[in-house]
Amino acid sequence: MGNRISHGVEGHRQGERRAPKVIVFACRWCALIGADGAGKKRVQLPLDFRVIPVECAARVEPDSIIRAFSYGIEGVGVLGCHLGGCRYHNANHRAIKRLDLLKKLLATVGIDSGRLLTSFGTGHEYHQFAGILKDFFQELRGLPPLDEWARAATIDAIKV
Amino acid sequence: MTILEQARQIARQSLEQGRAQGVLGLREAEGGVSPHLFEDPSDIDSLVVEPKWLLAKLATGILKGLPADYRLAVLCRGCDERAIVELIKRNQIDGEKIHVIGLACTKEQARACLCTRPYPSEVAVGDVVEGVDPFQDERARTFLEGDQRERMIRWATELRRCVKCYGCRNSCPICVCVPCKLEDDLWVGRGEIPADLISFHLIRAFHLCDTCVACGACQDACPENIPLMLLQISMRASLVEKYGYEAGTDRERRSPLLSDLTKEPSPGCEVPGWMDSLGDSA
Repeated sequence: MGNRISHGVEGHRQGERRAPKVIVFACRWCALIGADGAGKKRVQLPLDFRVIPVECAARVEPDSIIRAFSYGIEGVGVLGCHLGGCRYHNANHRAIKRLDLLKKLLATVGIDSGRLLTSFGTGHEYHQFAGILKDFFQELRGLPPLDEWARAATIDAIKV
Repeated sequence: MTILEQARQIARQSLEQGRAQGVLGLREAEGGVSPHLFEDPSDIDSLVVEPKWLLAKLATGILKGLPADYRLAVLCRGCDERAIVELIKRNQIDGEKIHVIGLACTKEQARACLCTRPYPSEVAVGDVVEGVDPFQDERARTFLEGDQRERMIRWATELRRCVKCYGCRNSCPICVCVPCKLEDDLWVGRGEIPADLISFHLIRAFHLCDTCVACGACQDACPENIPLMLLQISMRASLVEKYGYEAGTDRERRSPLLSDLTKEPSPGCEVPGWMDSLGDSA
């Protein structure tokens, strides 16, 4: 599996646990503005996350989230507008329903549902965005690394 | 009259009275059982009702190749009927053309499938028995509840046996997408065995989250006996709990995942009262 995200400069000495890698899907109408603001204001942020701008939180397919986990991403965030403030006919209502179900599935197979961060209408301001991410990273550090999943399956993938 | 005799009688009647031009059921011939389209009432003597065999997907294919005025009766268990309803909702089958002969499962069968609803909406053959709650089953519970870490290992140990035969997808009555994401390198690496633990299985499971009728065809087809249906149980339970929605029980009702929170609210997701400076965008 590709190691798609390079590590930040935070200390990764031998034996030390790597900082969790995170992808954040940010709706361009709110959370992306928050992310932008956080950059402009030079707020201290965790280093190992990347933002993927999306038009709407509902545009994020649950499959992309699952695929991110399968690539070894430890946490995925989906940040959208507040309920009632969606630009696209309340599409975020569908997103919230869908992602709630996805959390159930993740919890069933033992991938903690806390690895999927969903937040609606809480990321417009730069300090809110920074706060959400810091809390999320803190939570991820408390969880066992996700590659245990792969390690539990001891047979290595065979390329045919 | 035994269940088998009842089933044969009803199938024969619907052919003789012209309610249907064909009955899709199972036939015992040459020491084996296989699906068969009965068009001649005299053939009905070879009709059997065991074992469980889902005919919904077959019915879809058969109806496509038949003239428009053909009426098809299908001998269905509860799960099969629900699958047909879901296929009708997805425009795969014309609801006018299909007629369901309902067959209720026995207690043992319901227990073997962990079926919550082992009977069709209209029972023509057999007696209705109570469903089974999967959360009460010892073995199922180890896959659904308890320590997160233990469960992670349990699932990974099960799923790593996958030989990627795609039997779960092919046998699923509701998996009808063309093209299928599981054949796309973007989502699941092709030619990789065992299949990618997370992406292959969870993408397949999540595609069926609000459509799964819990027939268990996926795990019956699995050559490695992976309990695939258990992936769906908690999502199904959540849909019932939050929206009172169960796939395949209502032809008119669409999945709650397709509607607004204002129309089908979800407990825990409050829409603020001051909402919507943009007006009601219903």
